[in-house]
Amino acid sequence: MRPALTLTLLAAGLASAGAAPALAQEAADEPQVAGTLVRWFTDSDHVSVRSLSTDWAWPLARGSDLTFHYNNERVFIPAISAPPGSQDAIDAITTASRPISGNAFEDFVKQRNEVQGEYERGHAAVNYYVSSESDYLAQQVGGRWDRDFRQQTMNLSFGSSWGWDEITPLQNDRTQTGDARKTTLHWNAIMTQVVSPSLLVRYGVEYNLVNGLQHNPYRDVYAGGTNVPERTPDVRQRRDAFLRVNQALPNRASIKFSYRFYNDDWGVTSHELGTRLSQYVTRGLSARWEYRWYTQTAANFWSDSYASVTGIDGFLTGDYRLGPLASHLFGGSLRADLEAFAPTRTFVRRMTLWFDLERYFNSNNYSANVVETGVDFRFP
Amino acid sequence: MSRGLRTGLAALGLALLAGCATVPVKPWQRERLVDPIVAFKAEAREDARKMKTFEAREGSTGGVGGAGGGCACK
Repeated sequence: MRPALTLTLLAAGLASAGAAPALAQEAADEPQVAGTLVRWFTDSDHVSVRSLSTDWAWPLARGSDLTFHYNNERVFIPAISAPPGSQDAIDAITTASRPISGNAFEDFVKQRNEVQGEYERGHAAVNYYVSSESDYLAQQVGGRWDRDFRQQTMNLSFGSSWGWDEITPLQNDRTQTGDARKTTLHWNAIMTQVVSPSLLVRYGVEYNLVNGLQHNPYRDVYAGGTNVPERTPDVRQRRDAFLRVNQALPNRASIKFSYRFYNDDWGVTSHELGTRLSQYVTRGLSARWEYRWYTQTAANFWSDSYASVTGIDGFLTGDYRLGPLASHLFGGSLRADLEAFAPTRTFVRRMTLWFDLERYFNSNNYSANVVETGVDFRFP
Repeated sequence: MSRGLRTGLAALGLALLAGCATVPVKPWQRERLVDPIVAFKAEAREDARKMKTFEAREGSTGGVGGAGGGCACK
């Protein structure tokens, strides 16, 4: 049996990465819920992403559940804005992370569709994920198994997934990267604990082994006085450990802390700290403030200028995500459960509305805004 | 194994051991823990969406217990 097939079956048999592990504190009886949301992302490079997604959760017989997720994204990358023929335009074209075929001074737009389904029964779950766009097809099967301990105050979950991506670069005037493939093997172990009537804690470790094309097939890098295609190693081992603490506070409020440590064999090491403070403004209406801080070191082969076309150890990249980086995110959101506001016996009472705003910026003079709004509906 | 990773795993181990010393919380004492502003599950979908956004802008991944391919972000 081929290794890929063996791992796929193993992952599926174990039961779901991609979904959160079962929680020791969750109530057993949950209604059928459908939700939809729209999300706008815009950044300082004038790139924008519009997402429309929907989620369904069906409780089935004998403690099983079926969930379905669909997401459609429209990505807009603006045309090169410098005057044609100028050095700025040439620089922008040669380092563009989008296909340049014919006219680089036209906007580039593409769509991505994503579907995920999961079946959960008892302490096990299996899932399938597919994401499709014009030059990228990603698929993944996953599985999860979990177990409760200590009178259901502790839950231990093991998950795994196997992903395989087909990359077919679009026609491009510059780079000659052919069709390529990438695979990702993922493992995780996560423990969730009810520490006190007001305190939840979650710890986890994750491991990803990535094989295949991992650089942008459209991007060139300045090296040795000329432009050469970006090139990164084919194998990357990525691992992280995280801790999350959720504390309920008096006066109908809560505070959450999170920390994540990440490290990989390309030399990137990162730390992430996050906090969220939530408060009920009135019955059914809550507000939340959020802050996230992130920092990372550069990959071993990253440089802001390469003296030779062979780069460092044969690799070279123009991807700022592999350089030293620090970022901040501030966010605020409102959530309204209309059961508290609408007249009795109306379907409006079964709805929850929310609205989120986020501001992100990092040390590369990059910033982005995210606006998200959505509604969930609980069926009778 | 790097020093940072060893430190992280040691901290995780200590945290797990510390958890074993707590008195089990009874089911009827968990009302506040299933409140949407406290529970993990209420923000699981949101966390997965955010991870996807951060992955497209930063060099790391993880923290939500899963992996997923595809990126139309840029």
